[in-house]
Amino acid sequence: MRDQKPSPLSTTFFGAILLTGLLSSCGKSPSAEGTPTSGTGKQKSSYTIGMSQCNLGEPWRVEMNANVKAAADKQPNLKVVFKDAQNDTLKQRAHVEEFVSAGVDLIIISPKEAQPLTEPVAKAMDAGIPVIVLDRRLLGDKYTCFIGADNKKIGRAAGQWIAKKLGGKGKVVELKGLMTSTPGQDRNSGFREGIAGSGVEVVFDPDMKWLEPNARKEMESALSRFDKIDLVYAHNDPGAHGAYLAAKAANREKDILFVGIDALPHEGVAYVSQGILSATFQYPTGGAEAIDMALKILKGDKVPKEVTLGSRLFTKENAAAGGEPLQ
Amino acid sequence: MSTPPAVAGRAAERFWANPATRALAALALVVLLGCCFNAQGAFFKLGTHRDALRQASVFGLLACGMSLVIIGGGIDLAVGSVLALVAVSFSLMSIHWGWAPIVAVPLCLGIGTACGAVAGGLTAGFRIQPFIATLAMMVFARGMAKTISSGMKVSTAVKNADGAYHYVDVPGVFRLIDSRVLGGNLAVVTLIFLVCAALAWIALARHRWGRQLYAIGGNEEAARLSGVPVNLTKILAYAASGLLAAVAGMCQAAQEQQGDPETGAGYELTAIAIVVIGGTTLTGGRGGIGLTLLGTLTIGYLEKILSINAVPEASRLMLTGVIIVVAVLTQRRQRA
Repeated sequence: MRDQKPSPLSTTFFGAILLTGLLSSCGKSPSAEGTPTSGTGKQKSSYTIGMSQCNLGEPWRVEMNANVKAAADKQPNLKVVFKDAQNDTLKQRAHVEEFVSAGVDLIIISPKEAQPLTEPVAKAMDAGIPVIVLDRRLLGDKYTCFIGADNKKIGRAAGQWIAKKLGGKGKVVELKGLMTSTPGQDRNSGFREGIAGSGVEVVFDPDMKWLEPNARKEMESALSRFDKIDLVYAHNDPGAHGAYLAAKAANREKDILFVGIDALPHEGVAYVSQGILSATFQYPTGGAEAIDMALKILKGDKVPKEVTLGSRLFTKENAAAGGEPLQ
Repeated sequence: MSTPPAVAGRAAERFWANPATRALAALALVVLLGCCFNAQGAFFKLGTHRDALRQASVFGLLACGMSLVIIGGGIDLAVGSVLALVAVSFSLMSIHWGWAPIVAVPLCLGIGTACGAVAGGLTAGFRIQPFIATLAMMVFARGMAKTISSGMKVSTAVKNADGAYHYVDVPGVFRLIDSRVLGGNLAVVTLIFLVCAALAWIALARHRWGRQLYAIGGNEEAARLSGVPVNLTKILAYAASGLLAAVAGMCQAAQEQQGDPETGAGYELTAIAIVVIGGTTLTGGRGGIGLTLLGTLTIGYLEKILSINAVPEASRLMLTGVIIVVAVLTQRRQRA
């Protein structure tokens, strides 16, 4: 039954789209200049990057790999080898070790969890292979660069936006991802900070486990309990969409606004463009940034130890133009 | 179960020995629970019951198929994955390729039936244990769902060649399945579930195939010796389970307005729980669709009551676990 645990994280749980152009420093050949400061030291005409993804069961991670691939395809001297650990920590550990013994020039890893993957990554660093860590953290500091977004900040931005949108007061249903997961906790606590001090009141806040059918089910319960609901804040876009479908079935979708998080192009952004959601807040994948950073590292440039990705807000007005950055 | 008073003795014992009585008692208990914890009257609204039935329908469909397989002495772990495969196929055909329902629906039913028949064939023909054969189909069908969808949800946002998206309307057949009848008081998916349950009941209780299935589940060797076409009967049971999973998959896709390759994960466990709570024994040969119907209502209402009261997820899991254990303990008494 190992494949059967209905893992909540195996569905979408955060999402994002390309931040093309934000950091892109396309094009220069890595062999052009500079002395290397990091481990590799080799100046070659082409480089192989190993990309270890923890689980391609989540659309957001499919998007991350697609972003990495799209950015890498623009670099003729880069070749990326993708491996999917299918949500298995030990498989991911083996993938890192395989990359090391294959002698790749750089590893990008989006780890499933910190503790068991910290050591394999440290060993890769010892072998002189720089490692970029994407989205989830490792323990300690034996990696080259961490790139990730801040769920709490996104939740706070959503809270502030919602308080403003509702004119400072209203009844809100919060459909929580999963309160046993860090993104769920952060998207919850950030949101509560964002609405603190306003008259916005959360009347109902069940877990929907990141799943659309559950969100619809929970929203139906909310609708039968409360005659007045002004807005639904869901921790991901499928959740907001499920809530919309529930409200539509009850003929109440016109009285309620729906806000989600993730903004994957074919999910949240699509829902916003279709007028289903009022807004969605992007949780960026960092795929393109990872390739930019990889180029710098391979060239021997100094890179920051930590990069926090910005989020973007998508509304019907700006969705076609690619959203607008949050502060 | 309380011990019947000495006077009532026999009659009460026989009354409680009837699995339908036990299943009804479980359901009554859950409904009573709902009346006590009615979430400020929400439990007494008609809409709450309509929604509870709608939510239970997909699980009920899977549980009907599961009942057939379990009564025949097997188990079908693949139903959740087959549901996902069909949901994705149905969405691709209806949303992306614009095929008419007259083509898409039979094709999808065929896909589900084929998955079930293959798993059944592996069990019956090659003597692979049902657990293993359907586990293999579970993994395979999930992989297939991810392959044909490229790991993405198949929604009304369709990708152009240049990578941008354009939007298409939700197909009429999706709207139809997700609509309501009887003045908005009955979801169409519930109607579909009830019709399928009735058909399964007829096949099981009124057809020779059903009697043979009970015989196989009771004692396969004896059934074989008395001339029952064991392999064919078993394959048909798995095929029927696949067929019902396909119906459930289409209902799922219509309600989500998309085909999610990850959907239905863990649904087979809920289906098994429904069958067991209804009172069909996992060892085979005993049970029925009527019991499964009661089990569906019990689980459906339990979920609804936990949901309207906004019970935290952790407590829900524990409560569900406790209730399954109680149901299984009840079964054991029955056999003794």
